Amino acid sequence: MKAETHKVARLHAILWGIFSLGGMIAAFLLPVMIYLTGIAYPLGLWPLNGSRDPSFLVTGTLLGMLFVFVTIAGSLFHGIFRFQSALTEVGLLRLKRGLEAVGYLIIFAGIILLAYYLIVLNPSLPAL
Amino acid sequence: MEDKKRYPELRRRLSPGWWTANRHYAMYMVREWTSLFVALYSLIFIYGLSLWATGSRADFLNFLKNPAVVGFSLVALAFTMYHAATWFYLLGAISPVKIGRSTTKPWQALILNLILLVIVSYLAIWLLVLR
Repeated sequence: MKAETHKVARLHAILWGIFSLGGMIAAFLLPVMIYLTGIAYPLGLWPLNGSRDPSFLVTGTLLGMLFVFVTIAGSLFHGIFRFQSALTEVGLLRLKRGLEAVGYLIIFAGIILLAYYLIVLNPSLPAL
Repeated sequence: MEDKKRYPELRRRLSPGWWTANRHYAMYMVREWTSLFVALYSLIFIYGLSLWATGSRADFLNFLKNPAVVGFSLVALAFTMYHAATWFYLLGAISPVKIGRSTTKPWQALILNLILLVIVSYLAIWLLVLR
């Protein structure tokens, strides 16, 4: 029983650690990512007012691809983890287990799909 | 087990609208709900990648140019910046640094990290686009 409690506590510590790391990623890297892909490119603003477009981030360099993966995966984890926690504070506490299950499903499915698409779009990955 | 029976856990039940009671609670809830935009942007970007992976690069780029996506991105950027500012303030509040006899204040962490955010953003643009 005690060992089980320790295991759960360790898992919680790991998940909260990833949540904090995701918070740092969302704070430091997500704003520039949103600006480049969602604002600068469609509106023709600096620095994407020349020949480059956001696809260069995904397939141009290994660093760009890693940037996309780390930023999107970290932000997704942080965002969903925090949002499902916020929902329990506005009257949905009795659905906590269900919200956690759906939240983790979205997080892990999202990260797996993200990794899959990045690999598919970079067939020459080892050579990058 | 015996103790549990003697001292039952008493939880104060909060109404769903407890956070409207004062400005402090309301700002806390706004801060928590900014995470929805952080998560939604991530999911929208993954969806955009799926269009490219299953179709063409033009599908991905056209998706990014969709007015609804651009509008959402503007709102998401505003909320993400709010998330960043509150996160930096929180960092200063939970882990103040002791320098000599004085301890750093949360607003100092906020300013320092905002400067760092500008540097990191420019560095990312330089490394990923301009170089």
